[in-house]
Amino acid sequence: MSDTLPTVVGLELEREFAERPNDDKPRQSRNDGPPRRPKRRRRRSRADNPMRGIVTGKADRFTIYALLILMAVLFAFPLYSAIVKSLEVNGIQNYVSLFTDPVGDVPIWQTYLNSLAVGAVHAAIVVTVSVTAGYAFSKLQFRGRELSFSAVLLFLAVPGIAILVPVYRITQELGLFNTYLGVGMPEAAITIPFGVLLMRNYGRNIGDSLIEAANLDGAGHFRIFWNIFVPLSRPAIINLMVLCFIWSLQDFLWPSFLFTDPSLTTAAQAVSTFSSALGRGAGDLARFNASLVVLAVPAVLFVVFGLRFIVNGLTTGSTKD
Amino acid sequence: MTIREQPRPVLKRRTSRRSDWKVALVFLLPLFVMYGIYYLYSIGFLASTSTTKVSVTFFNSIDVGWRNYVQLLTDPVFIRSMVNNVLFACISIVAALTVAFFIATALATGVRAKRLFYLIFLLPALMPLSLVATIFGSMLTERTGVLNETLRAIGLGALAQPWLTQPGLAFAVVAVIFCYLIGLPIMYYTADLSALPTESLEAALLDGAGTFRIMRSIIYPMMRGTHITIVLSLLLGSFRSLEVVLFSTRGGPGQSTEIVGTYIYGFATSGGPTIGFVSAVSIIVLVIALVLSIAQMVITRPRKDMR
Repeated sequence: MSDTLPTVVGLELEREFAERPNDDKPRQSRNDGPPRRPKRRRRRSRADNPMRGIVTGKADRFTIYALLILMAVLFAFPLYSAIVKSLEVNGIQNYVSLFTDPVGDVPIWQTYLNSLAVGAVHAAIVVTVSVTAGYAFSKLQFRGRELSFSAVLLFLAVPGIAILVPVYRITQELGLFNTYLGVGMPEAAITIPFGVLLMRNYGRNIGDSLIEAANLDGAGHFRIFWNIFVPLSRPAIINLMVLCFIWSLQDFLWPSFLFTDPSLTTAAQAVSTFSSALGRGAGDLARFNASLVVLAVPAVLFVVFGLRFIVNGLTTGSTKD
Repeated sequence: MTIREQPRPVLKRRTSRRSDWKVALVFLLPLFVMYGIYYLYSIGFLASTSTTKVSVTFFNSIDVGWRNYVQLLTDPVFIRSMVNNVLFACISIVAALTVAFFIATALATGVRAKRLFYLIFLLPALMPLSLVATIFGSMLTERTGVLNETLRAIGLGALAQPWLTQPGLAFAVVAVIFCYLIGLPIMYYTADLSALPTESLEAALLDGAGTFRIMRSIIYPMMRGTHITIVLSLLLGSFRSLEVVLFSTRGGPGQSTEIVGTYIYGFATSGGPTIGFVSAVSIIVLVIALVLSIAQMVITRPRKDMR
């Protein structure tokens, strides 16, 4: 249990955490004398997680649990309500029928695949642009580097809706309506400022010694980039990719304007497709809620299996949204 | 900012490697292409379109000068949606600085089932916003919604409300959804907590300070940098939260819960010759986003240098 925090928190933070001088008492006392077992255990967990120590009394611990559980119930209520509603009228049959008798013009599993395909394009573009730019901004020396980096970050906060009109125009000009590329590119454009920030922050923490050694060996920048920088930034690249996939999964704006072919409907878009395809009767409402629950599944899987990458990525990049 | 602070040897190397700019140009080329298309071209296109009256086909555009901007800035609905936008952002900021801080701190003190708690609290922020808002909308429907059904079932039927159709309540509902999405602040606090210096905690413990006292008086002030990051990111995020309103109240009833995102969306999907007008709104939103970005850079810079 005590190792959950370092797993959740970023790689660098983990390192920072480990490198902190051993001046806190519990950690040092762990080594002296033959400690009795239970005592040792307690001390150890304290040392791993200094925050653990701040809960001193039983009453405090109880209050913390009570408040956390209360909030967890409130937070879980909407999803619970969707599940309750989804089982009305026909029970589990509501779920089965989603797969055997698709709602609207698109099978529900197809919406996952569409989101995934858009996510792949999104991730490929973001990673290519961010890793190359991240290398330039962290490992190359040129005049105006910090200035141009600041210029890149200016666009960190641009909301997609603000460039809706030109993106529509660009997609028209390039003939990219109803293509994964057509949606993946504007998504990437919105993510790139963040990606560059993340890769540059990560790149700055990669030591120069390896690069200098390679430089002395006569390796050019392209070899250094490909054989040293890219492999060393792999953790950051993975975080970035996971984030791209989850943002594609969440994105409603671009698919809703740039996909007109129903078979391309993405998961986030399907919510409105299903809502208009189903009536307002009790049976339809139940089926609609079942579809909402099914559409939430990928996000749940992402959080269960990818939370570490998401948190690492978001906190290394320090700001997004 | 960093070059000036670097020690001498580095400075010397820098001068000897100045030719890097050619290589840098190659490495930055993909970035230039994407920025060129989606930001530079976009802004130019918006600026030129914003003074015209044109439909989405972009044919037969009529030059109307500044009229779009005048119309926009005198439209009470636009002002309203701007104000709403900021209000919702402020409400979510308050929730983040209190509830999210508490959740992150409490979970860092080594509670049981921590992963389950993280799942519950972070999931909403990682699901499609359209889905979250729709679930709220469905849950709060007056006749068939689970909330009213539950209230009736436990004998509190008097509390059942037309949540989505009464202006004040609908506003509260949207505010609640914004607060529901505080997963990101929780992540920021969790990350910052793990890098917390332990000395001051131990000193406070020796002084006999209680848990909540330590949280409030010791840990909270130490997270100043994170607070600022969160305030700015939520303020900016509110401009991206089109779906929150679109899928719960659709901006209604009347236009009482409209935000900038739904305002643009409404005009963009209306099908009329509104694209020039939409471009003018977009320019205003872009200016706000850029100003907030600059503010963010200026405010967070000293903190980064300190670290």
